[in-house]
Amino acid sequence: MKAAITHFHREVNDEAQERPLDFGLIRRLFAYTRPYARKRNWLFLLVLLRSLQLPVLSWMIGAVVKGPITKLDLPGTVHWAVAFLLMALTTQVSFHFRMRLALELGEAVMQDLRRDIFQHLLRMPMSFFNRTKLGRMISRITSDADAVRVGVQDVLFVSLVQGGQMIFAGLAILYYDWMMFLVLLAMTPALWLLNRHFRRKLSDAYRAVQESFSRITSTLAESVNGIRVTQGFARQELNASCFRELVTDHSKYNLGVARASGVFLPLLELHGQFFTAVLLGLAGWQVLTHRLPLGDMIMLGFLANLFLSPIPTLGNLYNQALTAMAGAERVFNLLDTPPDWQDADASQPLARLEGRVEFRQVVFGYVPDRLALQGVSFAVEPGMTVALVGHTGSGKTTIANLIAKFYLPTDGEVLIDGHEIRAITSDSLHQQMGIVNQTNFLFTGTVLDNIRVGRPAAKDDDIIAVARQLDFLDMIGALPNGFNTQVGEHGANLSLGQRQLVCFARAMLADPRILILDEATSSVDSLTEDRLQRALGILLKGRTSFVVAHRLSTIRSADLMLVLDNGRIIERGTHAELLKLAGHYAALHKQFVQNPFMTEFTLVPS
Amino acid sequence: MFSSDGVSDANSNWILSRRLLGLAWRYRAGCLKVLGVQILILALGLGGLSFWGLGIDYLRQQVVPGTLPVHWSFGWQPPADWAPSMVVMAIGGAILGFTAIRNVLNFYYTIAINDLTQGRIVVDLRAAVYDKLQRLSFRFFDDNATGAIINRVTGDVQQTRAFVDGVVIQIIIMALSLAVYLVYMLSLHVKLTLVCLATTPLLWLISAHYSRSLQPEYLKNRELMDSMIRKLAEYIQGIAVIKGFAREPEVTADFQTANRAVRDQQQKIFWNISLFSPGISFITQINIFIALLYGGYLVIHDEFPLGLGLIVFVGLIQQFSGQVQNLANVNNTALQSLTGARRVFEILDAPVEIQSPPQPVTLPVAKNSRQVRFEHVWFSYIPGEVVLQDVDFEVKAGQCIAILGVTGAGKSSLLSLLPRFYDPTRGRVLLDGIDLRHLDLDELRRNIGTVFQESFLFSNTIAANIAFGHPEASREQIERAAQIAAAHEFIVQMPKGYDTVLRETGSNLSGGQRQRLAIARAILLDPLILLLDDPTAAVDPQTEHEILSALDSAMHGRTTFMVAHRLSALRRSDFVVVLDDGRVTQVGTHAELLRVPGHYRQIAELQFAEGVAG
Repeated sequence: MKAAITHFHREVNDEAQERPLDFGLIRRLFAYTRPYARKRNWLFLLVLLRSLQLPVLSWMIGAVVKGPITKLDLPGTVHWAVAFLLMALTTQVSFHFRMRLALELGEAVMQDLRRDIFQHLLRMPMSFFNRTKLGRMISRITSDADAVRVGVQDVLFVSLVQGGQMIFAGLAILYYDWMMFLVLLAMTPALWLLNRHFRRKLSDAYRAVQESFSRITSTLAESVNGIRVTQGFARQELNASCFRELVTDHSKYNLGVARASGVFLPLLELHGQFFTAVLLGLAGWQVLTHRLPLGDMIMLGFLANLFLSPIPTLGNLYNQALTAMAGAERVFNLLDTPPDWQDADASQPLARLEGRVEFRQVVFGYVPDRLALQGVSFAVEPGMTVALVGHTGSGKTTIANLIAKFYLPTDGEVLIDGHEIRAITSDSLHQQMGIVNQTNFLFTGTVLDNIRVGRPAAKDDDIIAVARQLDFLDMIGALPNGFNTQVGEHGANLSLGQRQLVCFARAMLADPRILILDEATSSVDSLTEDRLQRALGILLKGRTSFVVAHRLSTIRSADLMLVLDNGRIIERGTHAELLKLAGHYAALHKQFVQNPFMTEFTLVPS
Repeated sequence: MFSSDGVSDANSNWILSRRLLGLAWRYRAGCLKVLGVQILILALGLGGLSFWGLGIDYLRQQVVPGTLPVHWSFGWQPPADWAPSMVVMAIGGAILGFTAIRNVLNFYYTIAINDLTQGRIVVDLRAAVYDKLQRLSFRFFDDNATGAIINRVTGDVQQTRAFVDGVVIQIIIMALSLAVYLVYMLSLHVKLTLVCLATTPLLWLISAHYSRSLQPEYLKNRELMDSMIRKLAEYIQGIAVIKGFAREPEVTADFQTANRAVRDQQQKIFWNISLFSPGISFITQINIFIALLYGGYLVIHDEFPLGLGLIVFVGLIQQFSGQVQNLANVNNTALQSLTGARRVFEILDAPVEIQSPPQPVTLPVAKNSRQVRFEHVWFSYIPGEVVLQDVDFEVKAGQCIAILGVTGAGKSSLLSLLPRFYDPTRGRVLLDGIDLRHLDLDELRRNIGTVFQESFLFSNTIAANIAFGHPEASREQIERAAQIAAAHEFIVQMPKGYDTVLRETGSNLSGGQRQRLAIARAILLDPLILLLDDPTAAVDPQTEHEILSALDSAMHGRTTFMVAHRLSALRRSDFVVVLDDGRVTQVGTHAELLRVPGHYRQIAELQFAEGVAG
């Protein structure tokens, strides 16, 4: 077996890199310039101005040489030269404004796009976040919005200027010598075809390079993340030779790009020189036969350059335009994706939540053909603690998600204080609800900031009071900067137990009427465990709480236990009642008590 | 561990530059080839321009009698019997010829430079950095984010490479071409040249100032962008918290602030860019203005030819200014490549803390397990912050010891001394009486099988993952290891059995399955020592039982070190070492330790109380 670090499976990349020009998309993008209409209109005016100024400038050089200089007219030369300088100055002034306004407009459009994307994302329900990769969402706001920016800043206005320059230069050439104009006209389609052919070849080669590069980065990522395994198993040398092979392979694809562009770019340059040679031959013959003044021939040399030099630039811009189109399409696709559901128009804010929760024959499936809950009913009075018990996939977390209105039931009703949950606005519900996730997510910032998420208006003293109530002030005090300790990405600086306590405090600060808590499965050392249990007891007191429970002590202190299996409630009651019932729970508990060394409690399917 | 970018003193820049020059010198043959081709291309380009001027002069002489005679400066003169049209055709043909050769050379140049940079320098550098990376101690990986480390092998290597082609080669080419243009222009007309190039220093100064003043702005913008993206990523990852606490308005406002900060900061950059480009073009146009004025005067007074003089001269001015402006780019490239090179060399220069001794002692042949002794071991990651203090105990061959302690007590550190992931600061660790530091490192590690808290699996086939430490292993050996680790059953039930390709980090397996594969991976080495760093910590309790029973058979006949919290695991050991704040506070069997008051009994009581108090 040939050794390899990773087995690369070609990722099905369904995100096209390019997209043909689409006027529907362009019109929509154009709508984004409307708030900046003044800027945009000035830009169009400047574009027109510049596409006239540039040919005039070149024409003036030719005109000095052709006119006063060949006619040996010194004062004329001075006049023309000064006129040239003044013209150059105005050209650069319009260049400055053209450039600056385009940059500002593009940036403004991108900023607005980003704002809209972000707001749209926040409106999406949880189901969207569960099925969409983080990287995708980020690239909508970064690379795709950026492609659109380039489209506005560079592609649109530069190509208009360059195109205008070509038209005016072409007209001037026609004016001086129709024969040369015909030669140019004949060359243009050939150039265009050449351009297209090679662009296509190049983009294939680039794709191969990108693919092999992503092989390198993914191998690297795994090598870094698996470094402990690599060193532990003494695989360094073998890995190094595998990696060298990958890198060498990648350089071959790079050479492929070099080959394609190595033929193409000189060919593009060739036409300029080719035209010079033809000009010398054809126009030179006309000069010799006195059909064309020499000055006109020199002028044609300058004009030809003006006409031909935009071609490679335009080819390049065209490609960028395709990328911008692809970016715009993806951005608009996201903006056009309606949320799976939204608060109904008739939904009302619930001013004061009591905390009564009722499920009536609730059916729910994350995917239509696989039901996670199959007819669940229960009623909970304000202030009760409910433990949800069952093995992985039995529906515990689903019940929690439905109470939080992260999802809507497929069938049946969820009632909060007697109101159907659809009739209550999500905002008013969430403002009176607290959630502690299994992942104990912390944001970058201080411990204080993270607790404050529960109630942004809270004063520092309120936060300290909460920490005192939960009895973990000493733990905060042990951190390098106490409450002001920075918590890194994912709260890497804190231990699992500390993270959990911060999340408890966050929920406590919000002082919610309904609390939903998903206990972490990972084990912590027994002393920490003990603290967490005590803090949990304080947190749950006095509010309706739903706990996806893994610890026996949590379960035992609950007012109601719902034992779930396969989306149904198979047993319900208090700990004592269920023991008396001698059913599933009792059997499990018996097994548990007989084995004093089991510390955690999860219902094993019977 | 990142060196702070930008704030580097000139001295270290100079040392670094010398080192990078050394890199270029190592590839001198390739560099010379690329340079040679460039010089030919330059010469041919000038040839083309000159022939265009020559053609104009020739035509002028034919149609405007009495002008300067054509200066046939290329050692060739058309035969007298050639018709003028023939001569013009010949000149046109020469231009075409030059162009054709130039294109072939250009193609060759593109290939050659790519082969030099991407094919050789980058490959060598990446291989070297990767090789070194793998040998660095874990401290480096703890201190740096994965993305930043990847960037050293990808982006930073490319920036380092750019010093060779973007700085060294580019500067030589620029110097040569500027010299050639200058000599050519001087040979045409000394005074005209000097007058026209009077603005050149200005061009130079503006370019240099521009790149210097914009660089910090770009850096700042990059930071603002990063901070915006970080916010975005975090808000998406924490979406459940945001929605759960109805914090959408605050988050939207915060994101919009970050978003606007990027744009506001850009305005200054925009002003600079849109002043610089027109400004530079205008200076070039001033040069052309002078050329037209003074050159025109010379032509009118017949002191200067029109084609080979003025027109060629205007062409040269444009190319000359282009090269001077290029200098700003080279300057930028140089700065970037110094930043990249600093990061690359930081890795290449990092001392490998743990190495095999020059003359390793070979381990005596032993059929079964090894005896291990910790002899007054002290250890700290950072000097002054002691992690292990005077740890001293012995494990007899074949024994299983459990290590207990709260988070941060030093359990994992203790284990990591055995495969020499770190060396003790004081004291020794002995294997069959031999100091670990006297053994061959690879041989030592092959004798130790490790199962981590969360086992990392590679996105490769299941078979390749099990055979990670011993890639030549036969399928029978792999299956046997899987059977011992109680993994065989679930593997054969997978769609492609042992050839099933795991997704990144093995996400298509459950936690228990991943741990059993990790156990099989360790077993395949047939190690004499087994290290189990809390292998059941991250799985839910159902799977803990599966893993523990798989471990039972794996531990058989091997000296085993096991970090554990749960009594179910602790009970299986021959004796328990209790660590507290880096010190061994208790040693004894489960039964012994239950009898005496102390940390162990406290833990046992806590867990016990949970179990029976109801």
